[in-house]
Amino acid sequence: MRVDPDLYTSVNASIQQSEQSLQTAMTQLSSGKRVAIPSDDPLAFANNLESVAASAAVDTYTKNGDAVLAQAQIADSALSSVVTTLTEAVSLGTEGGNGTLTSAQRSSLAQQVQGLLAAVVSQANTTSNGNALFAGTAGVAVPFVADPSSSTGYAYQGNSNSNAAEVGEALSVAINIPGDQIFTSASGNVLGSLQSMVVALQSGSSSDIASATSAVSGAIAHVDQIRAMYGNTVNQLTTENDYLSQESVSLTSQQDSLVGIDTATAATNLTQAQTAQSAVLAMAAKILPTSLLNYLQN
Amino acid sequence: MTGLNATLSLASQALSAESGALATTNNNISNVNTPGYSREVVDLSADALNGNGQNQESGVSYNGFTSVRDEVLQIGIQQKTADASSLNAQSTLWNQIQSSFSSTTGSISTSFSGLFSAISTLSTAPSDAGARQSAFSAAGNLVDAFHEAAAALNDAQTQADSGVSGLVANINQLSTQIASLDQQLASAQASGQDGGSIEDQRDELTTQLAGLVGITSTSTQTTPSVSTAGNSPLVVGSTAYALQVTEGSDGTTHVLDAQGKDITASITGGALGGALTMRDAEIPQVSGALDTLATQFAAAMNAAQTQGFDASGNQGTAMFTLPTTGSAAAGISLALTSASGLVLSSDGSSGSSGNVSNLIAVQTSALPSGQSPGATYSDYVESIGDAAASVSSRSTATNLALTQLTTQQASESGVSIDEETTNLLRFQQAYTAAAKVVSTVNDLYSTLMNMGVVTS
Repeated sequence: MRVDPDLYTSVNASIQQSEQSLQTAMTQLSSGKRVAIPSDDPLAFANNLESVAASAAVDTYTKNGDAVLAQAQIADSALSSVVTTLTEAVSLGTEGGNGTLTSAQRSSLAQQVQGLLAAVVSQANTTSNGNALFAGTAGVAVPFVADPSSSTGYAYQGNSNSNAAEVGEALSVAINIPGDQIFTSASGNVLGSLQSMVVALQSGSSSDIASATSAVSGAIAHVDQIRAMYGNTVNQLTTENDYLSQESVSLTSQQDSLVGIDTATAATNLTQAQTAQSAVLAMAAKILPTSLLNYLQN
Repeated sequence: MTGLNATLSLASQALSAESGALATTNNNISNVNTPGYSREVVDLSADALNGNGQNQESGVSYNGFTSVRDEVLQIGIQQKTADASSLNAQSTLWNQIQSSFSSTTGSISTSFSGLFSAISTLSTAPSDAGARQSAFSAAGNLVDAFHEAAAALNDAQTQADSGVSGLVANINQLSTQIASLDQQLASAQASGQDGGSIEDQRDELTTQLAGLVGITSTSTQTTPSVSTAGNSPLVVGSTAYALQVTEGSDGTTHVLDAQGKDITASITGGALGGALTMRDAEIPQVSGALDTLATQFAAAMNAAQTQGFDASGNQGTAMFTLPTTGSAAAGISLALTSASGLVLSSDGSSGSSGNVSNLIAVQTSALPSGQSPGATYSDYVESIGDAAASVSSRSTATNLALTQLTTQQASESGVSIDEETTNLLRFQQAYTAAAKVVSTVNDLYSTLMNMGVVTS
């Protein structure tokens, strides 16, 4: 059977083919990517897009978690100071309940409690990045402002709503507890009990002082409860952050396996392509100059 | 009994036959690298009968030459060329399209992530003006990403369209050349000659024409004709029928046959078929899917916006505006004019982030098309990748089949230098032998003439 006498065309095609596999191997090795364009592996490319999006979400959740954690810690430390202050007030109240004190001494105690009240209010107005932590969602800079007409001497400018932060997929945590639920709550009125202690100490009624003191003790219990809620948030965030950092690692390795290339495989591919290229060139050098004319000339 | 004269005339016939054969060999060698050339074999026959019908040696007769070609292979090559050119044209455009969706940064996918990350961050600090501005910018980036993707698709479509007129001009030129060759061929065949290189040229041009537009060709009939897939004639006999182009009502270039019939939809083969397939079928489908994503995503975000209050405590308004006509992805724009329009608050107070959860729920909620925006987009890119990969592998396979057919044709019709060298020696030897006969007869005549003459 007659064969295609044109060797040049097929040799050219072979050279081109081996050059292409050489180039593919080189590109994969230098870019570290097996899938550079969608058609290289459409499914892997698409999955990688989703994986990258998931990584971005995990990064955001981690950042959000860190921000909430910082706020919760500031809030907790503010409330811790409040408890210390209230404990001081209780001991002042106990001291004031002693019948041997003069009215001048009680008035001095009342002044001290007034000072403690101011300290508590200053903690209640704690801010983080310029935002009041205990103003609910109102977005006011100073939630508790002096107001002589109020029974506690302070008016609450915030509201009773709270915000939740997105710290995981379909997971949000409450990041703040409104000021009125902490400082002027019916189940432990911090500002009210301190104010009534001031009034009781000024009046000198030992029964009023005693009930104000126990009200302040009640407020301590209430603030401790609130602190426990912040503590829960902190625990939840710590757990979530651990999970997110694991997730981030596993997503990165997923992306690697989807579109990345194993260096050993890439190096082997390159060697194979080089060998094939040399073989094709050697073949071309061997067969192209050959023709009957070479032999007739002798 | 054969006389010397007869022998001499036999030898001279042989000389002319062998020199004819040498000329054919020479022509083969000359055209070894001519595209489309089919090798010619010399046609010699022994004249076994003399004028009286008696069986006797009457020498060799040179009957010209015949080109070696296989018409069936030729038709196969035309068809594969049409398929391969169409797929090559499509593959080029698909590669161009998919390169616009290859980037991992600045894509619609990363812009989704960017927008939702920025909004999600606001859940921890709703009053942070900088973070609010970032989210507003991220929404703008997403609009830009949609515009870029739509522009890339539109570019590819425009490119496919702009090539149509040029391709039709090339088709008409080839048709004219084929018609003129058909005329020469008809007169050659009328005088009983082999079509030879005229037919080679015609085959070569017809294959080129098939690469531009899929054709059906009948060259073996008395009236050879070439027509497009939709049976619109390009060449009948020695007359060429020019295709025409006109701008259709949709703003694209339409192809009309010589009778003015719109044959745009019936052209699928060749580079023209490939360009038209991409322009009228593939790219509109891809654009449509992107428009659906833009429309549904914008609607979902707009709905989430209306569930709360903006920075000034007003009821939220739409985030995106969709165009009333044309491509949604190309025409989508930001409805909000400033960052304060982002709806974060659920209770109307400026420190609330209660609506953030509604906004970022769009990221994970299924759109009416069935999947979340991110998954819809990645499926979309996957479908582009699939199409590009499938066209590319079909193109590779078709080119391989074409190469096989071409090799098969070359094994039939290709000129082999070695073979021609052998033939050269063969005909040279025969020529030398015939010349020797002439010289021998000459000697015999001399002997005869000198009979009886006494030489000193």
